[in-house]
Amino acid sequence: MATRGSNRSRLLWVSLLVTSLFIITLDLRGVSLLSSLRSGTQSVLAPVERLATRVFSPVGDFFSEVGNLGRSSEKIDKLEEENQELKSQVIFNENTLAQLESLKGVLDLAGKARYKTVSARVISKGGTGTFSETIVLDIGSDSGVRRDMTVIAASGLVGVVKSTTASSSIVLLMNDPSFRIGVRVAGKQDMGILLGQGDKNYSLQMLSATSAISVGDVLLARGSSGDKPFVPGVPVGRVSYVENTVGQLTKEGRVNGFVDLNSLSVVSVVLSAVAGDPGDALVPQAPRPAPTVTVFVTPSPTPKE
Amino acid sequence: MEINRLPKVLLIFLSLFLVQEVLINQINFLVAGFSLYLAFFMAWVIQDQRNSAVVTGFIAGLILDLSPTLDAPFGLWTLVLTSMSYVLSSNVRAALDAELSPLVMLSVAVLASSFALALFLLFGAILGQEVGSASYLFRSISGNALWSALLSPLYIPLAMKLYKITLTARQR
Repeated sequence: MATRGSNRSRLLWVSLLVTSLFIITLDLRGVSLLSSLRSGTQSVLAPVERLATRVFSPVGDFFSEVGNLGRSSEKIDKLEEENQELKSQVIFNENTLAQLESLKGVLDLAGKARYKTVSARVISKGGTGTFSETIVLDIGSDSGVRRDMTVIAASGLVGVVKSTTASSSIVLLMNDPSFRIGVRVAGKQDMGILLGQGDKNYSLQMLSATSAISVGDVLLARGSSGDKPFVPGVPVGRVSYVENTVGQLTKEGRVNGFVDLNSLSVVSVVLSAVAGDPGDALVPQAPRPAPTVTVFVTPSPTPKE
Repeated sequence: MEINRLPKVLLIFLSLFLVQEVLINQINFLVAGFSLYLAFFMAWVIQDQRNSAVVTGFIAGLILDLSPTLDAPFGLWTLVLTSMSYVLSSNVRAALDAELSPLVMLSVAVLASSFALALFLLFGAILGQEVGSASYLFRSISGNALWSALLSPLYIPLAMKLYKITLTARQR
């Protein structure tokens, strides 16, 4: 039999559930107050995230490097202290060098296509509870970044700007399940749609029944009207598998992305594509196979005794 | 929930949200990711009385909905956590012993956070959200469960200690 207390808590539960459904309805109907709450949170979090990135990235790596703790000798302690300082310095330098490499790569790519870009550091990522693949950049509308701008890294497409505040922006990564991009096969005019799957693999659906794709084909962004959300010509990925099912109207396949989205530190936001479509100019060079030395051995007849 | 407990609960969950967004989300876990916020919430709510658990669920959900990287409608986590808090504090709590052992709390935190993620996806799918491939969802949920289990020695004692701090003298 239900007591008065349990009835009261059930009533409280139901009223809170109704309140949350009401909030969801308001949000789905586009009440700006709720979306501004999230952008407000982003404005508050961005400086803290920036600070945490600066402090946490060398320290996090540093802890994995230090193995032997707990020795009691004073000399060892002193030496370890010096060692730790040197190690953290080395890790810091390695981080900086890696970031410089990424920056150089992305500037090379942008330079080839004559994209006008602005570079940014990744200061945070979307969490498990969000089920959306996102990163947070340390630049925002103050640096000219607007919603629906293309984001690139040294080897190709990263994603698209989803929202901005004055000093930070959120980027929807290309592996997000809701991500869609029109692509074309490099060297051909065959077009298709690439879909994010939440991991390193992407799904590809060609648009025309006559389109032919094969393993190893490079896919480039087709570009959008007004270059938003996608500028044309950015390398997207390489076809890794083609489905050959009888009765299929169009070809489908799987694609490996060019960019490792798990280890992004520096990216660039494309503000505009000055020279229009760069065509196939950004297609990455295929890895050159190392020359192998072939030795032909001809057996000589054994001398008769 | 007594009104003078509310600011403490709010402060704890706001701080936890900050830690999750600023620190935990930056860590590259080997498999999927870890939601400290969810695991801590489940470990908290299982100790709570029904009324205050439901209010805590509502508050914690509202805070989680503030996450700027979240691509779901505002209020979805509020709905999920309010539902979960009721189920945990009434049905699950009633089935368990009066004294919660760390092993029981670990099991509750792992299973309930996995269930909450699944519920979030289900409600999201009903509302028209893209949820991704089955392998992606399985990896995300099982990865979170793995880390929730492995890191439980860190957050379960913390949840127990902080819960006791927020209790009023009469409740103790």
